[in-house]
Amino acid sequence: MAEGVSRWFGTLVAVSDVSFDIGPGVTALLGPNGAGKSTMLRMLCGLARPSRGTIRVLGRDPRSDVGVTRSIGLVPQQGSVFEPLTAREFVRLTAALHALRDPDAAATAALETVGLDPSDTRRLPAYSKGMRQRVKVAQGIVHDPVVLLLDEPLTGLDPRQRADMIALFRRLGAEGRCVLVSSHVLDEVERLGSRILVMSQGRLAAAGDFRELRALMDDRPLRVRVRTDRPRELAGALLEAGTVVSARLDGDEGLELDTNDAKGLARALAPVARDRDASLLEVVPLDADLEGVFRYLVQR
Amino acid sequence: MDTLPAASAERPRTAASLGALYRLLLRTQVTVPRLLGIVALGALSVLLGVFARWDDDPVQAAAEAVTSYGLGFVVPLAALWLGTAAIGDLVEDRLLVYLWLKPVPRWQLPAAAVLATITVVAPLTALPLAASALAAGAGELAVAVLLAASLAVCAYAGLFVAAGLWLRRAAWWGLAFVLLWENAAAYASEGTARFTLTSWARSIVATAPWVDVPLGGRSVVAALFVLPAVAVAGGLAATVRYRRADVD
Repeated sequence: MAEGVSRWFGTLVAVSDVSFDIGPGVTALLGPNGAGKSTMLRMLCGLARPSRGTIRVLGRDPRSDVGVTRSIGLVPQQGSVFEPLTAREFVRLTAALHALRDPDAAATAALETVGLDPSDTRRLPAYSKGMRQRVKVAQGIVHDPVVLLLDEPLTGLDPRQRADMIALFRRLGAEGRCVLVSSHVLDEVERLGSRILVMSQGRLAAAGDFRELRALMDDRPLRVRVRTDRPRELAGALLEAGTVVSARLDGDEGLELDTNDAKGLARALAPVARDRDASLLEVVPLDADLEGVFRYLVQR
Repeated sequence: MDTLPAASAERPRTAASLGALYRLLLRTQVTVPRLLGIVALGALSVLLGVFARWDDDPVQAAAEAVTSYGLGFVVPLAALWLGTAAIGDLVEDRLLVYLWLKPVPRWQLPAAAVLATITVVAPLTALPLAASALAAGAGELAVAVLLAASLAVCAYAGLFVAAGLWLRRAAWWGLAFVLLWENAAAYASEGTARFTLTSWARSIVATAPWVDVPLGGRSVVAALFVLPAVAVAGGLAATVRYRRADVD
Protein backbone atom coordinates (compact mmCIF):
# COMPACT_ATOMS: atom_id res chain seq x y z
CA MET A 1 0.00 0.00 0.00
CA ALA A 2 1.33 3.41 -0.97
CA GLU A 3 -0.35 6.53 0.36
CA GLY A 4 0.63 9.99 -0.83
CA VAL A 5 4.13 8.83 -1.61
CA SER A 6 6.61 11.29 -3.05
CA ARG A 7 10.30 11.04 -3.54
CA TRP A 8 12.62 13.76 -4.70
CA PHE A 9 16.36 13.98 -5.24
CA GLY A 10 17.36 17.61 -4.75
CA THR A 11 15.15 19.51 -7.17
CA LEU A 12 14.26 16.43 -9.21
CA VAL A 13 10.88 14.96 -8.32
CA ALA A 14 11.05 11.25 -9.15
CA VAL A 15 7.71 10.25 -7.65
CA SER A 16 4.92 12.68 -6.85
CA ASP A 17 1.99 11.99 -4.53
CA VAL A 18 1.31 8.42 -5.60
CA SER A 19 -1.31 6.32 -3.83
CA PHE A 20 -2.45 2.79 -4.60
CA ASP A 21 -3.30 -0.56 -3.06
CA ILE A 22 -2.15 -3.84 -4.49
CA GLY A 23 -3.61 -7.19 -3.61
CA PRO A 24 -3.03 -10.79 -4.64
CA GLY A 25 -2.53 -11.42 -8.34
CA VAL A 26 -0.43 -9.79 -11.01
CA THR A 27 -0.27 -6.01 -11.22
CA ALA A 28 1.71 -4.27 -13.91
CA LEU A 29 3.49 -0.99 -13.30
CA LEU A 30 3.59 0.55 -16.74
CA GLY A 31 5.40 3.69 -17.76
CA PRO A 32 8.06 5.06 -20.07
CA ASN A 33 11.67 5.14 -19.02
CA GLY A 34 12.19 7.78 -16.35
CA ALA A 35 8.56 7.65 -15.21
CA GLY A 36 9.54 6.76 -11.64
CA LYS A 37 8.74 3.04 -11.74
CA SER A 38 12.07 1.85 -10.39
CA THR A 39 12.08 4.47 -7.63
CA MET A 40 8.54 3.37 -6.70
CA LEU A 41 9.61 -0.29 -6.59
CA ARG A 42 12.67 0.57 -4.51
CA MET A 43 10.48 2.39 -2.02
CA LEU A 44 7.97 -0.46 -1.95
CA CYS A 45 10.62 -2.89 -0.80
CA GLY A 46 12.34 -0.44 1.53
CA LEU A 47 15.50 0.15 -0.46
CA ALA A 48 14.71 3.86 -0.59
CA ARG A 49 12.90 6.06 1.88
CA PRO A 50 9.94 8.13 0.65
CA SER A 51 10.48 11.87 1.03
CA ARG A 52 6.80 12.07 1.95
CA GLY A 53 3.98 9.59 2.40
CA THR A 54 3.59 6.10 3.76
CA ILE A 55 4.39 2.67 2.41
CA ARG A 56 3.25 -0.54 4.01
CA VAL A 57 3.88 -4.11 2.89
CA LEU A 58 1.74 -6.68 4.67
CA GLY A 59 0.96 -3.89 7.12
CA ARG A 60 4.61 -3.25 7.99
CA ASP A 61 7.16 -0.62 7.07
CA PRO A 62 9.63 -2.29 4.70
CA ARG A 63 12.23 0.39 5.37
CA SER A 64 12.59 -0.14 9.08
CA ASP A 65 11.23 -3.64 9.62
CA VAL A 66 13.94 -6.06 8.55
CA GLY A 67 11.62 -8.98 9.27
CA VAL A 68 9.22 -8.10 6.47
CA THR A 69 11.98 -8.63 3.92
CA ARG A 70 11.42 -12.35 4.48
CA SER A 71 8.13 -11.95 2.65
CA ILE A 72 9.47 -9.85 -0.23
CA GLY A 73 11.24 -11.01 -3.35
CA LEU A 74 12.85 -8.45 -5.62
CA VAL A 75 14.18 -8.82 -9.13
CA PRO A 76 16.06 -5.55 -9.67
CA GLN A 77 16.48 -3.89 -13.01
CA GLN A 78 20.26 -3.73 -13.05
CA GLY A 79 22.03 -6.49 -14.93
CA SER A 80 24.91 -6.78 -12.49
CA VAL A 81 25.36 -10.02 -10.57
CA PHE A 82 28.09 -11.43 -8.32
CA GLU A 83 30.65 -12.36 -10.94
CA PRO A 84 32.71 -14.91 -8.99
CA LEU A 85 29.59 -17.02 -8.35
CA THR A 86 27.79 -19.66 -10.34
CA ALA A 87 24.02 -19.38 -10.75
CA ARG A 88 23.51 -22.05 -8.12
CA GLU A 89 25.84 -20.33 -5.65
CA PHE A 90 24.10 -17.01 -6.20
CA VAL A 91 20.61 -18.40 -5.64
CA ARG A 92 21.83 -20.55 -2.77
CA LEU A 93 23.29 -17.45 -1.10
CA THR A 94 19.86 -15.84 -1.16
CA ALA A 95 18.31 -19.02 0.23
CA ALA A 96 20.91 -19.16 3.00
CA LEU A 97 20.40 -15.51 3.96
CA HIS A 98 16.68 -16.25 4.18
CA ALA A 99 17.52 -19.15 6.50
CA LEU A 100 15.73 -21.74 4.39
CA ARG A 101 15.91 -25.20 5.87
CA ASP A 102 17.61 -26.67 2.80
CA PRO A 103 19.20 -23.88 0.74
CA ASP A 104 20.60 -26.31 -1.83
CA ALA A 105 17.23 -27.87 -2.57
CA ALA A 106 15.56 -24.45 -2.69
CA ALA A 107 18.19 -23.12 -5.11
CA THR A 108 17.80 -26.17 -7.33
CA ALA A 109 14.01 -25.81 -7.40
CA ALA A 110 14.17 -22.07 -8.15
CA LEU A 111 16.63 -22.52 -10.99
CA GLU A 112 14.56 -25.33 -12.49
CA THR A 113 11.47 -23.13 -12.18
CA VAL A 114 13.05 -20.52 -14.45
CA GLY A 115 14.33 -23.16 -16.84
CA LEU A 116 18.00 -23.13 -15.91
CA ASP A 117 20.29 -26.07 -15.22
CA PRO A 118 21.23 -26.09 -11.51
CA SER A 119 24.30 -28.20 -12.23
CA ASP A 120 25.80 -25.63 -14.61
CA THR A 121 29.26 -24.86 -13.22
CA ARG A 122 29.90 -21.78 -15.33
CA ARG A 123 30.25 -18.49 -13.53
CA LEU A 124 27.59 -15.87 -14.12
CA PRO A 125 29.59 -13.65 -16.51
CA ALA A 126 29.57 -16.60 -18.94
CA TYR A 127 25.76 -16.51 -19.05
CA SER A 128 23.82 -14.65 -21.72
CA LYS A 129 21.83 -11.60 -20.70
CA GLY A 130 18.61 -13.60 -20.83
CA MET A 131 20.07 -16.36 -18.64
CA ARG A 132 21.31 -13.85 -16.09
CA GLN A 133 17.85 -12.30 -16.09
CA ARG A 134 16.37 -15.70 -15.25
CA VAL A 135 18.95 -16.22 -12.50
CA LYS A 136 17.81 -12.92 -11.01
CA VAL A 137 14.22 -14.13 -11.11
CA ALA A 138 15.30 -17.40 -9.45
CA GLN A 139 16.95 -15.50 -6.57
CA GLY A 140 13.77 -13.43 -6.27
CA ILE A 141 11.49 -16.44 -5.84
CA VAL A 142 13.78 -18.90 -4.06
CA HIS A 143 12.34 -18.11 -0.62
CA ASP A 144 8.75 -18.37 -1.85
CA PRO A 145 7.84 -14.74 -1.08
CA VAL A 146 4.29 -13.51 -0.62
CA VAL A 147 5.17 -10.26 -2.37
CA LEU A 148 7.23 -10.37 -5.55
CA LEU A 149 8.48 -7.14 -7.13
CA LEU A 150 10.02 -7.38 -10.58
CA ASP A 151 11.66 -4.41 -12.28
CA GLU A 152 11.65 -4.90 -16.06
CA PRO A 153 12.12 -8.68 -15.68
CA LEU A 154 11.54 -9.52 -19.33
CA THR A 155 14.43 -7.44 -20.64
CA GLY A 156 16.89 -9.53 -22.60
CA LEU A 157 14.67 -12.59 -22.90
CA ASP A 158 13.84 -14.17 -26.23
CA PRO A 159 10.14 -14.59 -27.17
CA ARG A 160 9.92 -18.15 -25.85
CA GLN A 161 11.55 -17.21 -22.56
CA ARG A 162 9.23 -14.21 -22.27
CA ALA A 163 6.21 -16.42 -22.74
CA ASP A 164 7.49 -18.85 -20.09
CA MET A 165 8.27 -16.06 -17.67
CA ILE A 166 4.90 -14.38 -18.17
CA ALA A 167 3.22 -17.75 -17.56
CA LEU A 168 5.26 -18.09 -14.36
CA PHE A 169 4.24 -14.64 -13.12
CA ARG A 170 0.60 -15.38 -13.86
CA ARG A 171 0.81 -18.67 -12.01
CA LEU A 172 2.50 -17.07 -9.00
CA GLY A 173 -0.24 -14.45 -9.00
CA ALA A 174 -2.95 -17.09 -9.33
CA GLU A 175 -1.48 -18.84 -6.29
CA GLY A 176 -2.33 -15.78 -4.22
CA ARG A 177 0.96 -13.94 -4.24
CA CYS A 178 1.12 -10.24 -4.86
CA VAL A 179 3.19 -9.90 -8.03
CA LEU A 180 4.10 -6.41 -9.24
CA VAL A 181 5.84 -6.29 -12.62
CA SER A 182 7.20 -3.05 -14.00
CA SER A 183 7.54 -2.61 -17.73
CA HIS A 184 7.72 0.09 -20.35
CA VAL A 185 6.44 -2.25 -23.05
CA LEU A 186 2.70 -2.11 -23.57
CA ASP A 187 2.58 -5.47 -25.31
CA GLU A 188 4.19 -7.24 -22.35
CA VAL A 189 1.67 -5.74 -19.98
CA GLU A 190 -1.19 -6.80 -22.22
CA ARG A 191 0.03 -10.39 -22.09
CA LEU A 192 0.24 -10.30 -18.32
CA GLY A 193 -3.52 -9.76 -18.42
CA SER A 194 -3.37 -7.90 -15.21
CA ARG A 195 -4.41 -4.83 -13.35
CA ILE A 196 -2.33 -1.92 -14.50
CA LEU A 197 -0.86 1.12 -12.80
CA VAL A 198 0.36 3.69 -15.29
CA MET A 199 3.10 6.03 -14.14
CA SER A 200 4.29 9.02 -16.03
CA GLN A 201 6.60 11.80 -14.94
CA GLY A 202 6.52 10.49 -11.40
CA ARG A 203 2.74 10.53 -11.13
CA LEU A 204 0.15 7.80 -11.19
CA ALA A 205 -1.52 8.63 -14.48
CA ALA A 206 -4.12 5.88 -14.57
CA ALA A 207 -5.09 2.61 -12.94
CA GLY A 208 -7.39 -0.16 -14.06
CA ASP A 209 -7.48 -3.36 -16.00
CA PHE A 210 -6.05 -3.53 -19.48
CA ARG A 211 -9.36 -3.16 -21.32
CA GLU A 212 -10.24 0.01 -19.46
CA LEU A 213 -6.86 1.46 -20.19
CA ARG A 214 -6.88 0.41 -23.83
CA ALA A 215 -10.25 2.09 -24.33
CA LEU A 216 -8.88 5.21 -22.72
CA MET A 217 -5.97 5.20 -25.13
CA ASP A 218 -8.18 4.53 -28.16
CA ASP A 219 -10.30 7.56 -27.28
CA ARG A 220 -7.46 9.99 -27.42
CA PRO A 221 -7.01 12.24 -30.50
CA LEU A 222 -4.30 11.09 -32.85
CA ARG A 223 -1.88 13.70 -34.07
CA VAL A 224 -0.52 13.41 -37.62
CA ARG A 225 2.14 15.51 -39.28
CA VAL A 226 1.71 16.08 -42.99
CA ARG A 227 4.15 17.73 -45.36
CA THR A 228 2.52 19.08 -48.49
CA ASP A 229 2.99 21.89 -51.01
CA ARG A 230 -0.54 23.22 -50.27
CA PRO A 231 -0.96 23.03 -46.48
CA ARG A 232 -3.61 25.76 -46.17
CA GLU A 233 -5.90 24.27 -48.80
CA LEU A 234 -5.52 20.76 -47.40
CA ALA A 235 -6.17 21.88 -43.82
CA GLY A 236 -9.27 23.81 -44.86
CA ALA A 237 -10.71 20.88 -46.79
CA LEU A 238 -10.12 18.36 -43.98
CA LEU A 239 -11.64 20.68 -41.35
CA GLU A 240 -14.62 21.34 -43.62
CA ALA A 241 -15.15 17.61 -44.07
CA GLY A 242 -14.95 17.05 -40.31
CA THR A 243 -12.14 14.52 -40.73
CA VAL A 244 -9.89 16.42 -38.33
CA VAL A 245 -10.75 18.36 -35.20
CA SER A 246 -7.92 20.85 -35.49
CA ALA A 247 -5.10 21.78 -37.83
CA ARG A 248 -1.94 23.81 -37.30
CA LEU A 249 0.35 25.18 -39.98
CA ASP A 250 4.03 24.53 -39.40
CA GLY A 251 6.22 26.49 -41.81
CA ASP A 252 5.62 26.60 -45.56
CA GLU A 253 4.94 22.91 -46.04
CA GLY A 254 4.18 21.56 -42.57
CA LEU A 255 0.76 20.73 -41.16
CA GLU A 256 -0.18 19.10 -37.86
CA LEU A 257 -3.61 17.51 -37.73
CA ASP A 258 -5.55 16.18 -34.72
CA THR A 259 -8.20 13.60 -35.45
CA ASN A 260 -10.53 11.38 -33.45
CA ASP A 261 -10.94 9.09 -36.44
CA ALA A 262 -7.56 7.84 -37.54
CA LYS A 263 -8.97 5.41 -40.07
CA GLY A 264 -11.26 8.06 -41.55
CA LEU A 265 -8.32 10.41 -41.96
CA ALA A 266 -6.29 7.69 -43.63
CA ARG A 267 -9.13 7.09 -46.12
CA ALA A 268 -9.82 10.76 -46.78
CA LEU A 269 -6.34 12.26 -46.93
CA ALA A 270 -5.27 11.09 -50.40
CA PRO A 271 -8.61 11.90 -52.18
CA VAL A 272 -8.79 15.34 -50.55
CA ALA A 273 -5.19 16.09 -51.54
CA ARG A 274 -5.92 14.96 -55.11
CA ASP A 275 -9.04 17.17 -55.28
CA ARG A 276 -7.02 20.19 -54.10
CA ASP A 277 -4.13 19.35 -56.44
CA ALA A 278 -1.83 19.03 -53.42
CA SER A 279 1.16 16.72 -53.30
CA LEU A 280 1.58 14.68 -50.10
CA LEU A 281 5.30 14.71 -49.40
CA GLU A 282 5.18 13.04 -45.98
CA VAL A 283 2.56 11.64 -43.56
CA VAL A 284 3.81 10.77 -40.06
CA PRO A 285 1.60 9.79 -37.12
CA LEU A 286 2.80 11.50 -33.95
CA ASP A 287 2.03 10.41 -30.38
CA ALA A 288 1.60 6.85 -31.57
CA ASP A 289 4.37 5.61 -29.32
CA LEU A 290 4.00 4.75 -25.67
CA GLU A 291 5.49 8.05 -24.58
CA GLY A 292 2.68 9.77 -26.40
CA VAL A 293 0.07 7.61 -24.74
CA PHE A 294 1.45 8.44 -21.34
CA ARG A 295 1.63 12.10 -22.21
CA TYR A 296 -2.01 11.97 -23.11
CA LEU A 297 -2.95 10.16 -19.92
CA VAL A 298 -1.16 12.74 -17.83
CA GLN A 299 -2.51 15.75 -19.69
CA ARG A 300 -6.12 14.62 -19.98
CA MET B 1 8.37 -24.72 -15.28
CA ASP B 2 7.38 -26.30 -12.02
CA THR B 3 5.76 -24.69 -9.04
CA LEU B 4 8.17 -23.85 -6.27
CA PRO B 5 8.04 -26.03 -3.20
CA ALA B 6 6.91 -24.31 -0.07
CA ALA B 7 10.04 -23.15 1.71
CA SER B 8 10.45 -22.93 5.42
CA ALA B 9 12.08 -19.73 6.58
CA GLU B 10 13.06 -18.46 9.96
CA ARG B 11 15.40 -15.74 11.17
CA PRO B 12 18.90 -16.72 10.05
CA ARG B 13 21.26 -17.77 12.80
CA THR B 14 23.98 -15.16 13.24
CA ALA B 15 26.82 -17.54 12.48
CA ALA B 16 25.17 -18.83 9.33
CA SER B 17 24.30 -15.47 7.80
CA LEU B 18 27.54 -13.81 8.92
CA GLY B 19 29.45 -16.76 7.49
CA ALA B 20 27.60 -16.56 4.18
CA LEU B 21 28.31 -12.83 3.87
CA TYR B 22 31.93 -13.30 4.92
CA ARG B 23 32.55 -15.99 2.32
CA LEU B 24 30.85 -13.91 -0.36
CA LEU B 25 32.95 -10.84 0.41
CA LEU B 26 36.14 -12.88 0.45
CA ARG B 27 35.33 -14.13 -3.03
CA THR B 28 34.40 -10.73 -4.40
CA GLN B 29 37.30 -8.90 -2.73
CA VAL B 30 40.13 -11.23 -3.52
CA THR B 31 41.25 -10.77 -7.08
CA VAL B 32 44.59 -11.73 -8.58
CA PRO B 33 45.75 -8.11 -9.14
CA ARG B 34 44.92 -7.20 -5.54
CA LEU B 35 46.70 -10.25 -4.17
CA LEU B 36 49.76 -9.68 -6.33
CA GLY B 37 49.89 -6.02 -5.32
CA ILE B 38 49.75 -6.76 -1.61
CA VAL B 39 52.23 -9.64 -1.90
CA ALA B 40 54.61 -7.33 -3.77
CA LEU B 41 54.35 -4.73 -0.98
CA GLY B 42 55.10 -7.43 1.59
CA ALA B 43 57.98 -8.89 -0.42
CA LEU B 44 59.59 -5.48 -0.61
CA SER B 45 59.51 -5.23 3.18
CA VAL B 46 61.33 -8.58 3.44
CA LEU B 47 63.94 -7.24 1.03
CA LEU B 48 64.41 -4.17 3.21
CA GLY B 49 64.98 -6.51 6.16
CA VAL B 50 67.68 -8.33 4.22
CA PHE B 51 69.41 -5.03 3.46
CA ALA B 52 69.12 -3.96 7.12
CA ARG B 53 71.26 -6.98 8.10
CA TRP B 54 74.33 -5.16 6.74
CA ASP B 55 73.65 -1.99 8.68
CA ASP B 56 75.89 -1.05 11.62
CA ASP B 57 72.89 -1.47 13.92
CA PRO B 58 70.70 -4.04 12.16
CA VAL B 59 68.07 -4.16 14.90
CA GLN B 60 67.53 -0.40 14.79
CA ALA B 61 67.61 -0.42 10.99
CA ALA B 62 65.04 -3.21 10.91
CA ALA B 63 62.82 -1.38 13.39
CA GLU B 64 62.92 1.75 11.25
CA ALA B 65 62.22 -0.18 8.04
CA VAL B 66 59.37 -2.11 9.58
CA THR B 67 57.72 0.92 11.15
CA SER B 68 58.35 3.58 8.49
CA TYR B 69 57.73 1.42 5.44
CA GLY B 70 55.73 -1.45 6.89
CA LEU B 71 53.41 0.25 9.36
CA GLY B 72 53.54 3.56 7.49
CA PHE B 73 52.68 2.28 4.04
CA VAL B 74 52.29 -1.50 3.56
CA VAL B 75 49.63 -2.09 6.20
CA PRO B 76 47.45 0.98 5.56
CA LEU B 77 47.68 0.75 1.78
CA ALA B 78 46.80 -2.94 1.71
CA ALA B 79 43.91 -2.38 4.10
CA LEU B 80 42.82 0.60 2.04
CA TRP B 81 42.84 -1.41 -1.17
CA LEU B 82 40.64 -4.18 0.15
CA GLY B 83 38.72 -2.35 2.86
CA THR B 84 37.24 0.37 0.66
CA ALA B 85 36.41 -2.23 -1.99
CA ALA B 86 34.69 -4.65 0.39
CA ILE B 87 31.33 -2.89 0.35
CA GLY B 88 32.31 0.03 -1.89
CA ASP B 89 32.51 -2.28 -4.90
CA LEU B 90 29.05 -3.65 -4.12
CA VAL B 91 27.71 -0.11 -4.05
CA GLU B 92 29.42 0.84 -7.30
CA ASP B 93 28.34 -2.36 -9.05
CA ARG B 94 24.80 -1.96 -7.67
CA LEU B 95 24.95 -5.37 -6.00
CA LEU B 96 24.08 -4.21 -2.51
CA VAL B 97 20.40 -4.67 -3.34
CA TYR B 98 20.85 -8.45 -3.21
CA LEU B 99 22.12 -8.28 0.37
CA TRP B 100 20.11 -5.42 1.84
CA LEU B 101 16.73 -7.01 1.20
CA LYS B 102 17.35 -9.98 3.46
CA PRO B 103 16.17 -10.70 7.01
CA VAL B 104 19.68 -10.27 8.34
CA PRO B 105 20.66 -7.71 11.02
CA ARG B 106 22.25 -4.69 9.38
CA TRP B 107 25.49 -4.91 11.39
CA GLN B 108 26.42 -8.21 9.80
CA LEU B 109 27.49 -6.97 6.37
CA PRO B 110 29.94 -4.34 7.71
CA ALA B 111 31.22 -6.88 10.23
CA ALA B 112 31.72 -9.45 7.49
CA ALA B 113 33.52 -6.84 5.39
CA VAL B 114 35.89 -5.94 8.22
CA LEU B 115 36.56 -9.61 8.98
CA ALA B 116 37.15 -10.47 5.33
CA THR B 117 39.55 -7.56 4.95
CA ILE B 118 41.48 -8.61 8.06
CA THR B 119 41.55 -12.23 6.89
CA VAL B 120 43.29 -11.31 3.66
CA VAL B 121 45.41 -8.34 4.68
CA ALA B 122 46.72 -9.46 8.07
CA PRO B 123 48.65 -12.54 6.93
CA LEU B 124 49.83 -10.86 3.73
CA THR B 125 51.30 -7.88 5.59
CA ALA B 126 52.02 -8.86 9.21
CA LEU B 127 53.88 -12.05 8.31
CA PRO B 128 56.20 -10.38 5.77
CA LEU B 129 56.91 -7.59 8.24
CA ALA B 130 57.81 -10.12 10.92
CA ALA B 131 59.88 -11.96 8.32
CA SER B 132 61.60 -8.67 7.55
CA ALA B 133 62.69 -8.37 11.18
CA LEU B 134 63.90 -11.97 11.15
CA ALA B 135 65.76 -11.40 7.88
CA ALA B 136 67.55 -8.47 9.49
CA GLY B 137 68.62 -10.66 12.35
CA ALA B 138 66.33 -8.78 14.74
CA GLY B 139 64.28 -11.72 15.95
CA GLU B 140 63.42 -9.87 19.15
CA LEU B 141 61.31 -7.49 17.07
CA ALA B 142 59.29 -10.14 15.29
CA VAL B 143 56.56 -10.78 17.86
CA ALA B 144 55.99 -7.07 18.52
CA VAL B 145 55.87 -6.38 14.78
CA LEU B 146 53.45 -9.23 14.23
CA LEU B 147 51.13 -7.92 16.94
CA ALA B 148 51.44 -4.27 15.90
CA ALA B 149 50.79 -5.00 12.24
CA SER B 150 47.85 -7.29 13.00
CA LEU B 151 46.16 -4.75 15.25
CA ALA B 152 46.89 -1.96 12.77
CA VAL B 153 45.25 -4.03 10.03
CA CYS B 154 42.15 -4.36 12.21
CA ALA B 155 41.97 -0.61 12.80
CA TYR B 156 42.55 0.34 9.18
CA ALA B 157 40.10 -2.33 8.00
CA GLY B 158 37.33 -0.86 10.15
CA LEU B 159 38.17 2.66 9.06
CA PHE B 160 38.33 1.91 5.35
CA VAL B 161 35.26 -0.34 5.25
CA ALA B 162 33.34 2.58 6.75
CA ALA B 163 34.93 4.96 4.24
CA GLY B 164 33.79 2.68 1.42
CA LEU B 165 30.20 3.21 2.52
CA TRP B 166 30.34 6.86 3.51
CA LEU B 167 32.46 8.36 0.75
CA ARG B 168 32.46 8.41 -2.99
CA ARG B 169 35.97 7.76 -4.36
CA ALA B 170 36.83 6.35 -0.95
CA ALA B 171 40.10 4.87 -2.22
CA TRP B 172 41.40 8.32 -3.19
CA TRP B 173 40.31 9.87 0.09
CA GLY B 174 41.93 6.96 1.86
CA LEU B 175 45.14 7.40 -0.08
CA ALA B 176 45.22 11.07 0.88
CA PHE B 177 44.60 10.07 4.49
CA VAL B 178 47.48 7.58 4.48
CA LEU B 179 49.95 9.90 2.80
CA LEU B 180 49.03 13.24 4.31
CA TRP B 181 47.78 12.31 7.77
CA GLU B 182 49.38 9.03 8.71
CA ASN B 183 52.76 9.84 7.13
CA ALA B 184 53.10 13.62 7.02
CA ALA B 185 50.93 15.14 9.72
CA ALA B 186 52.06 12.40 12.11
CA TYR B 187 55.54 13.91 12.13
CA ALA B 188 54.31 17.50 12.38
CA SER B 189 53.73 17.56 16.12
CA GLU B 190 53.12 15.41 19.11
CA GLY B 191 49.50 16.58 19.08
CA THR B 192 48.76 15.33 15.57
CA ALA B 193 50.75 12.13 16.09
CA ARG B 194 48.43 11.21 18.93
CA PHE B 195 45.57 11.00 16.45
CA THR B 196 47.31 8.78 13.93
CA LEU B 197 46.85 5.03 13.92
CA THR B 198 50.43 4.47 12.85
CA SER B 199 51.78 6.06 16.04
CA TRP B 200 49.75 3.65 18.17
CA ALA B 201 50.94 0.67 16.14
CA ARG B 202 54.54 1.86 16.32
CA SER B 203 54.27 2.12 20.08
CA ILE B 204 53.78 -1.64 20.24
CA VAL B 205 56.99 -2.18 18.24
CA ALA B 206 58.74 0.26 20.59
CA THR B 207 58.31 -2.25 23.42
CA ALA B 208 61.10 -4.32 21.89
CA PRO B 209 64.44 -3.79 23.67
CA TRP B 210 67.20 -1.57 22.31
CA VAL B 211 65.22 0.11 19.59
CA ASP B 212 64.16 3.71 19.15
CA VAL B 213 60.97 3.80 17.10
CA PRO B 214 59.94 7.13 15.55
CA LEU B 215 56.44 8.11 16.71
CA GLY B 216 56.51 5.21 19.14
CA GLY B 217 55.99 7.17 22.34
CA ARG B 218 52.42 6.10 23.16
CA SER B 219 51.44 3.78 25.96
CA VAL B 220 51.49 0.21 24.72
CA VAL B 221 48.57 -0.72 26.96
CA ALA B 222 46.54 2.08 25.46
CA ALA B 223 47.63 0.99 21.99
CA LEU B 224 46.29 -2.50 22.62
CA PHE B 225 42.94 -0.88 23.37
CA VAL B 226 42.89 1.96 20.82
CA LEU B 227 43.55 -0.06 17.67
CA PRO B 228 40.77 -2.64 18.21
CA ALA B 229 38.48 0.17 19.35
CA VAL B 230 39.02 1.97 16.04
CA ALA B 231 38.15 -1.26 14.22
CA VAL B 232 34.90 -1.56 16.16
CA ALA B 233 34.11 2.14 15.70
CA GLY B 234 34.66 1.78 11.96
CA GLY B 235 32.32 -1.18 11.87
CA LEU B 236 29.68 0.77 13.79
CA ALA B 237 30.05 3.80 11.52
CA ALA B 238 29.62 1.52 8.50
CA THR B 239 26.53 -0.03 10.09
CA VAL B 240 24.97 3.37 10.72
CA ARG B 241 25.52 4.32 7.10
CA TYR B 242 24.28 0.97 5.82
CA ARG B 243 21.08 1.28 7.85
CA ARG B 244 20.34 4.79 6.63
CA ALA B 245 21.51 4.69 3.03
CA ASP B 246 19.25 4.39 0.06
CA VAL B 247 20.23 1.28 -1.85
CA ASP B 248 20.42 1.52 -5.61
